[in-house]
Amino acid sequence: MEREAAWREAKRIDVHNHVRRARGGQTAGSGEALDVDHAERLLAKGEKLGIDCFCVSVPLTGDAPTPDQVRAANDAVLEAMRMSDRFLGFCFVNPGDAAAALEEMERCIVEGGMAGVKLYHQYVVCDPAQRPVMERAAELGVPVLMHAGKVTDTESQRRQPRLSHAGHFLKAAEMFPETPLIQGHIGGGGDWEWNLRVLEEAPANVYIDTSGSVIDTGIVDRTVATLGVDRVLFATDGILEEGVGKLLEANLDEADRARVFGGNVREIFARRRG
Amino acid sequence: MMFDINTAVGHWPFRRIPNQTPAELRALLEGAGIDGAAVANTNGLFYKNCHDANLELAEWLAPHADFFVGVATLNPLYAAWERDLRTCSEELGFRALRLVPQYHDYALGCGESIAIARLAAQVDLPLLIPHRVVDVRQHHWLDTERVIGVDEIGALCRAVPEARVIACEGGFSAGALLDRDGSPRYPGLYLESSRVAIDAFPEEFAAERIAFGTGAPFKQIRPAQLKVEVADLGAESRERICGKNGRELLGLA
Repeated sequence: MEREAAWREAKRIDVHNHVRRARGGQTAGSGEALDVDHAERLLAKGEKLGIDCFCVSVPLTGDAPTPDQVRAANDAVLEAMRMSDRFLGFCFVNPGDAAAALEEMERCIVEGGMAGVKLYHQYVVCDPAQRPVMERAAELGVPVLMHAGKVTDTESQRRQPRLSHAGHFLKAAEMFPETPLIQGHIGGGGDWEWNLRVLEEAPANVYIDTSGSVIDTGIVDRTVATLGVDRVLFATDGILEEGVGKLLEANLDEADRARVFGGNVREIFARRRG
Repeated sequence: MMFDINTAVGHWPFRRIPNQTPAELRALLEGAGIDGAAVANTNGLFYKNCHDANLELAEWLAPHADFFVGVATLNPLYAAWERDLRTCSEELGFRALRLVPQYHDYALGCGESIAIARLAAQVDLPLLIPHRVVDVRQHHWLDTERVIGVDEIGALCRAVPEARVIACEGGFSAGALLDRDGSPRYPGLYLESSRVAIDAFPEEFAAERIAFGTGAPFKQIRPAQLKVEVADLGAESRERICGKNGRELLGLA
């Protein structure tokens, strides 16, 4: 079931954000999985900043989250979607358990109306383990958003050894040419210039989102110059003023700014099949 | 009236950054509606004898004295810092002192740090201490990975309670800066706003202790302005953050 909802008219769609689980909301099916206060604050702040819709997920950062943990996380997202049609769910899955991942995509995307898939760093984006999830996303015509970065500091490299960078996305784009791939947060703290130099050769199914706390001068301008305005998607990853401000200040004409703020992702969502 | 307490001119060697001259930076800031700014010389991070960067900055700022005030950069482990600090204050007209232990390779808690903080307080210069200059997760292989934590900055505040210390470029949390009763944990500690979640702090603290800054030209300006615009603040508090606090800290108000 696809929600005929706010995104069709939305001018600003944050393609990368998160809701939180309520304390104690660890058990699937509890019905009280969502941190409602946080969700309400997000909506209120979004209203001040003109953000019409938020694509939200609850990714788990451990090495091997269990199916029950994954379901509990996605339950929070489903609750957020019931709370407000400004929330569009992205279904987190662990590709390491393909059967459970596909079952969860069925529950959350096909039956629950979520808009896409969210992957974290359990596997790099071009790992063969991703194939069942990627191919099912292609069948459904929904995008796959993945946590990404090219970190250069020792601590981040130690903590995220399987973090996907642009080189992984190039390879994944060839392996899964029918799947819309969104490389998460160009401003997420890694070497964004390196990522963009690699993406100069990216095929058409690679998109990038603008989120992250890094608001370096020129980051959005260079992203648009590298990928083309049609493949850059507005996002905040929870850092709302930075996310909106960096796009307002970018050297774009108003038509292009509107594409990045919402037009591009509306086109992706409109291609949904399942 | 917006006053930006955190800007820089001079060459950054690790990434191409536009608007690194005073004239270019001034045009950028004025175009964003900012009426004045405190500015440090990026070269001061890299020169061994970093007082040369202060002399250089004074020359550069001479045509822009109606807009910029200079921020000295000194290394308390280098020769003649005391004489240089007095020169910056008494002859060059600088209004603040920047300490960058992550670039000059010393501990913020060392005796020399405390000595320079004491002298800065005596000559009425606030300290600007950047948590970082750029996000270390993207640092160049010749750049530092070290960041200066709020606990280190706070320890200096406790050691030199007469100092006024402005922590820059930090996304510091309320939990790290406030005691359980909501009072400020560290004497004389202020925050530059560009990476601060203003709404996370009680309005009274924000109105007294947060001063507007952008980090230009390294960073974009509009996000810092949006943070103040959308924060749940009364008009007077917003005015204090946007300009009054910064000007008062620098002795301009």
